[in-house]
Amino acid sequence: MIDRNTIKDKGIIEQYLLGELSDDQCKAVENILKEDAELQKYVNEIESDFEKLAFDNTIIPPSHIKTALITGSAGNNIDQNLNLNSKNNLKTVYLAIAASLAALFMISTGWLYLQWQDSKITLKIVQNQTTNLQDRITVLEKNIKETNDWYQAINNAYVKQLQLKGNQISPNSKAITYVNHKDKTIILNPQGLEKLGADQTYQMWADVEGKMIDMGVIPTDRKMILMKYIDNTESINITIEPAGGNDHPTVERLISNVIL
Amino acid sequence: MQDNLELIRQVQQHDSKALSKIYDLYSGALYGVILRICKNEEMAKDVLQETFLKIWQKANQYDPKKGKFFTWSYRIAKNLTLNALRNSSKLIQDQDLSVYSNKESQEIKPDILQLNGSLKKLEIHHQKALELVYFNGLTHREAHEEMGVPLGTFKSYIKQALKKLRETYQKELLMLWVLIEHMI
Repeated sequence: MIDRNTIKDKGIIEQYLLGELSDDQCKAVENILKEDAELQKYVNEIESDFEKLAFDNTIIPPSHIKTALITGSAGNNIDQNLNLNSKNNLKTVYLAIAASLAALFMISTGWLYLQWQDSKITLKIVQNQTTNLQDRITVLEKNIKETNDWYQAINNAYVKQLQLKGNQISPNSKAITYVNHKDKTIILNPQGLEKLGADQTYQMWADVEGKMIDMGVIPTDRKMILMKYIDNTESINITIEPAGGNDHPTVERLISNVIL
Repeated sequence: MQDNLELIRQVQQHDSKALSKIYDLYSGALYGVILRICKNEEMAKDVLQETFLKIWQKANQYDPKKGKFFTWSYRIAKNLTLNALRNSSKLIQDQDLSVYSNKESQEIKPDILQLNGSLKKLEIHHQKALELVYFNGLTHREAHEEMGVPLGTFKSYIKQALKKLRETYQKELLMLWVLIEHMI
């Protein structure tokens, strides 16, 4: 380690103060100065001497340099530093605006997504309702066509309307039959017949020269039924038979008949 | 001159008013150094401006424990001036404009660069030694060659010059004190 006198004699302090030493040499000198108050005092004296030397030889610079430095083009550099914080603040504001916009965008997107989902559900409901309505229309159209067909079938100049009234076995039963000999059709409205148990059914028979010919089982849940037309029928008869119908009429259970 | 540490702290906190005050305090002394090193008024103005910009930008690197603020500023000014001279010299070489190599000395009136104050009361060789290292930006090695004396001798010149300078200042201070006493 270099001693104090060597540092003084070799002019190291002067070189240190004049900025002639390297960074490492400067650090070495500074470390020595930290430990040596007397040497530090010596350095302070020389430093003051140099400073006085400079101030003794002051040259006043043109005033525009200061103006340029503070307010002019150079001032802009300073302003850049001065405004660094405000620029940072501005940056923060911009970031806050961007974040707000992003949040707004996210909320809007979320809201739109929910609306989209609601719309999808609503659309599904509407589609289902439309399908139901279409089905109902189809059914109604079918019913109208059927009704119209029945109407056309019975509202005909060749049709003869006959009423079948129940006897003492089924006194409250009534049925209407429409006979068209031209088209050879017989239509029955069975709605007036009394309800039977599940093991029984009504069956219609044609009396042809004393012989009973099957015209078909009568379902009571229908409004109109097309029955089997039999040529040369003299009378129409309705009997109560076991469920599914019978091959031969049970005469004991004849509830109604009408002569054509 | 005692450092105004509060003012320096304000510059470190990028207070432009403090920079303005620092400029008022130090610009003359620094400009005197810069102009004497580069001997070119235009370059000196640019370097002075650059020096204060660097002071402003690097103020946080200044550590009062390592020396006076002026010493720190002086080193910045000196380095920037020497760099400007090197760049200017390189430009001249690159463009083969050797005619400009000495133009700076023609631009400034000699009396402006003349040294003043207590320095003038020193012996010529002491004056010259201080002028070379402090106002011409030469290193000790360059300066002793310039003066044509051994390095050790040159270092002694500097040491003696500073000692005599200090004595002169002390005498001036004493005379000033006596003068003030008389006036009172």
